[in-house]
Amino acid sequence: MTPMLRELQREFADGIWNDVPAVHAHICDGTFPAARHLQIYRHNTFANLTDALIADYPVVHRLVAEGFFAYAADSYIRRHPPRSGNLHDFGGNFAGFLAAFPAAQTLPYLPDVARLEWAWQEAYHAAEAQPLSLDALAAVAPEHYGSLVFRLHPSARLLASDYPVLRIWQVNQPDFEGDPAVDLAEGAARLLVVRHGLDVEIEPLSVGEYAWLAALAAGRPLAAATEAALAAAADFDVAQAMQRHVRSVTLTGFDVMNDITP
Amino acid sequence: MPARAATRVSAPIPARAGIGLRAPHYRDVTETPPDVGWLEVHSENYFGDGGAPLHYLERARVHYPVSLHGVGLSLGSADPLNREHLRKLQQLIARIEPGLVSDHLSWSSIDGRYLNDLLPLPYTEEALDHIVARIVETQEFLGRRILVENPSSYLRYRHSTIPEWEFLTAAAERADCDILLDVNNVYVSACNHGFDPRVYLRAIPADRVQEIHLAGHTVKHHEDGDILIDTHNTRVCDVVWELYRETVARLGLRPTLIEWDSDLPALAVLVEEAAMADRILERVHDADAA
Repeated sequence: MTPMLRELQREFADGIWNDVPAVHAHICDGTFPAARHLQIYRHNTFANLTDALIADYPVVHRLVAEGFFAYAADSYIRRHPPRSGNLHDFGGNFAGFLAAFPAAQTLPYLPDVARLEWAWQEAYHAAEAQPLSLDALAAVAPEHYGSLVFRLHPSARLLASDYPVLRIWQVNQPDFEGDPAVDLAEGAARLLVVRHGLDVEIEPLSVGEYAWLAALAAGRPLAAATEAALAAAADFDVAQAMQRHVRSVTLTGFDVMNDITP
Repeated sequence: MPARAATRVSAPIPARAGIGLRAPHYRDVTETPPDVGWLEVHSENYFGDGGAPLHYLERARVHYPVSLHGVGLSLGSADPLNREHLRKLQQLIARIEPGLVSDHLSWSSIDGRYLNDLLPLPYTEEALDHIVARIVETQEFLGRRILVENPSSYLRYRHSTIPEWEFLTAAAERADCDILLDVNNVYVSACNHGFDPRVYLRAIPADRVQEIHLAGHTVKHHEDGDILIDTHNTRVCDVVWELYRETVARLGLRPTLIEWDSDLPALAVLVEEAAMADRILERVHDADAA
């Protein structure tokens, strides 16, 4: 029975993803029996996708045993098969997957390390942006400051974790020298991942700065964001935060509510 | 209404050897551009919005003509063409102004799930009609010709009725596209399926072939037989060099890419392999002139 193209491709994919043998009937026995010829494609597919995950998550890969990573990757590939022909889209759900992966529960910081690595990947490929115009900012009347809505650099990602994920990330870089010990009791991390030029940077933030940038990233105006920051940390200094993040091109522009200015 | 891509003239790819541009070589290639005729990249690696990949590709483009080689269009899939993928490719074409744009005579997705591999089509009239329509649709969308490459294969279907070389030729002629002839893939498939690679190579019409690929492969030994895998992680083997020499002697000089995608060596090794291809092209040219 000759299958139509769509039927053949469905059976082939089912053979790869779910080990369903129906497609074997359409494959010639050659050097090996038909099933082993299909197995070459199954191996290639899983190896390529596992390599893509290793490329996106090198620190997670270093943190766990090779066999564990392969097991996690295999489960991830089956549960979240790629939805585009661009491999760079494939790994985006890995952190969420790890958080729910029973075998990873003994490494509670692992999902946050994965979130940090995905943020790094997104920042690496994000669009460029021009620095904020200080002249335009200077031209805003002081009574309008509170209603300024800032734009963050397209690469900017904020990440909070109960674990010292920046330290974990740093000691697992290939060029790291020094004491690789990490004290998990070191506690929470609040991070900004942002690309300056071509280089992705991971910057620790204070409690207040994190709350402030998170509110700005959510599109809240300056007054509300500053209120949120002060609620999180009474010593938050908005002028200092503004200066730092304008200078580092994390803030790239602003609108006065309902009034678009560069 | 298909939109037109680049309106400026793209730099044509010269009939000499080129190399793939890969991230570990970004700095070397852009700071001290090696003596190779052109560069090729995997289109999908430049589908991002910015950052280092596009920065270095644009810098490299100042020194070299560039060819965009896709692995993700899934031209042979029974799914509708992925419009988002086509749009990203079109944007990249507009930005880079490539000399050539190519993808494969294969499929990689069904029902929206991608296997991200170059999977073999059954060589039937139905599959031929299908891929011809898809190539036509792609060329209309992009407003330019594409090249379609023969993949390596590790299985054959019982219901295939057309030899791959006839299928490839018919697809190119009916869709009016060009052919990217991968000599290593022909050799790998010939060994795996027991046909004569020269029968294949001699059957491909010269006027359709606008690019040639060369790469290294790996022989996997098993108790009951060997299988060749197209691994792109080593030098081109002697038999493939000989098949290449015969092919360009018959077709004429063509842009020839040294593909090397994993276990990437120093840039100098790629440049050496390209110089080898250039020497073969020069000898064929001199023999034709004599």
